[in-house]
Amino acid sequence: MAAMLAERAPLPRFFSRGALALVLGLYTIYTLGPFLWLATMSVRTTAEISADHYAWPKVFHWEQFRIAWVDSDFATYFWNSTIVVVGAVAVVTLLGAAAAHALARYRFRGNRLVYGILFSSIIFPPQITLISLYQILVDYNLYNSLLGLTLVYVSLQLPLTVYLLEGFFARIPQDLFDAAKIDGYGDLEIFRRIVLPIGMPAIATTLILNFIQLWNEFLFAVVLITDPDKRTLPVGIRAFMGDHFQDIGMIATGVMISVIPVIIVYIFFSEKLIRGMTAGAIK
Amino acid sequence: MAVVTLDKLSKQYGPTGPVVVDKVDLHIGDGEFMVLLGPSGCGKSTTLRMIAGLEEISSGKLSIGDRVVNQVPAKDRDIAMVFQSYALYPHMSVADNLAFGLRRRNFAAAEIERRVQDAANILGLTPLLTRKPSALSGGQRQRVALGRAMVREPMVFLFDEPLSNLDAALRVNTRSEIIKQHKRLGSTMIYVTHDQVEAMTMGTRICVMNAGRVAQIGAPLDVYWEPADTFVARFLGSPPMNLATAAVVAVDDSHVARSPSVETALTRWSPQVLGNLADQKVTIGVRAEDLHINKAALGGEPAGHVRGRTIAVEPLGAETLLLVEIESGVEWTARLPRHVPVAIDETVDLYFPANAVFVFDAMTGRAIIGEKRRDIRQ
Repeated sequence: MAAMLAERAPLPRFFSRGALALVLGLYTIYTLGPFLWLATMSVRTTAEISADHYAWPKVFHWEQFRIAWVDSDFATYFWNSTIVVVGAVAVVTLLGAAAAHALARYRFRGNRLVYGILFSSIIFPPQITLISLYQILVDYNLYNSLLGLTLVYVSLQLPLTVYLLEGFFARIPQDLFDAAKIDGYGDLEIFRRIVLPIGMPAIATTLILNFIQLWNEFLFAVVLITDPDKRTLPVGIRAFMGDHFQDIGMIATGVMISVIPVIIVYIFFSEKLIRGMTAGAIK
Repeated sequence: MAVVTLDKLSKQYGPTGPVVVDKVDLHIGDGEFMVLLGPSGCGKSTTLRMIAGLEEISSGKLSIGDRVVNQVPAKDRDIAMVFQSYALYPHMSVADNLAFGLRRRNFAAAEIERRVQDAANILGLTPLLTRKPSALSGGQRQRVALGRAMVREPMVFLFDEPLSNLDAALRVNTRSEIIKQHKRLGSTMIYVTHDQVEAMTMGTRICVMNAGRVAQIGAPLDVYWEPADTFVARFLGSPPMNLATAAVVAVDDSHVARSPSVETALTRWSPQVLGNLADQKVTIGVRAEDLHINKAALGGEPAGHVRGRTIAVEPLGAETLLLVEIESGVEWTARLPRHVPVAIDETVDLYFPANAVFVFDAMTGRAIIGEKRRDIRQ
């Protein structure tokens, strides 16, 4: 089908390029617009925003960031989020990579069974497990603790991570492992020196996905944490929304603060992310 | 350097699974270049992987040097292996690829550096040392793979079809490179291939394998000229040896093999052997290069002859292949000089010297050994 269209090539090249640029431009405005709006709101007061929702800030109220960070408990929320998410992502990445390597490389009884059970958990919506997870955490004294939330996050992200990495690792040729074995390396060293570096693009992909997913996670955080000192960022931002009064300016400021790490992580790993998505050629 | 001995080595996948290597006995001398040759699925690669320690040995005994290594892991067998896919580590530079195995073995940095430089010099890799494998051509990658084995200075080199992924010209170059390195190092080398040209040109000896068993072991020309059975006879040689079923008949005080299309004197066998074969069916074989269209070319030797209908003439430039159907379903190929004055679908007579005839048991396919051919072996 695509080949047929290409064969006809009815449009001059610059025209089709222009059309592509137009589509991309529109899409960028569509996705970036709300973000820019939020950014402008983050440096305006709620009163100014109420007066005119879309106006460009007349005065840049940078102090809002200070107020959010110092006067409210944003620093605490940020720190809590960082601990939970970095911890969970680190564990998920390491555990997921190891599991994926084992499932992709070693022939053992029940290999596909483990894989099937792990992957089948992806199909359940998170709400289904919420109540039982709550009960389990209460039973083990992990309810309302950052450790408990971290463990839940690990279990949430592990299946997809293993699934993505297993697919990638399985394509690493067996000869590389045989060569490393003959070169004198044991299983763990082969994992560290061959699988991890070669799988880096895929690992970076899962790392970014997991980070973004968990950094923005709200449902489990709001149910499993009650103590205000242990709130993560999404739950903390929610606290600005009172029942009667919504401090829109502060919420926007809080969201901007929470977005920064995601952008940093993305910039840091995006090159590898793109390589991970376009990879497939290990030769 | 080392002797490698396979004693009834077998590989079976699972207790009831297929036996892919069946009691292989093979003694490889110190410094020998042994080629394991056979069609795909004959067990040659599995045999090599058992020697390497990458595949568990189901039964039998494997010794490298003077120790039994059945239970010794690959890394402690003091072997190096070159893979068909090169198996270079894609995230490491050429230099790191070469040094990877040495680093694990705790060699001093200076010694690693020296060995890597030496290997790079010998193989012409010096300008490529900082490159990643993805920036190399196929031939360069194969040389790096060879270098990675060389720097280890192992007792035994193993090659698993290392030239299969190279184009024809590079294959010839790399072939001579490997032969050169074998002469220089004098190490024991075991080389798996399905390519008979590689086997004939490289091997000190060839071990032909078929269906998991050893069909024949011997020097390349010995195997070519004295094949142990019809499988070896047809596998070595291109085009394969021509075979036909014929009956042994006593004529006066000698014997001939005769079928509706073929008739030949049997001169290389003793009267006693022929007496036992009299009135029995045998399989006779003649190599394509021994067939002539011109009887005079045989110089009055006692000749055999075959009659058939031409089905194809394939001029290859230096020579011409003539395909002849001698019986329904039985094709013979003759390798003839350039010009062949024959048309398709024409009845043609081909002649061969009687000492070019091979005789095999019609049931088992095993060769019936006669006196050696005097025209080729002196």
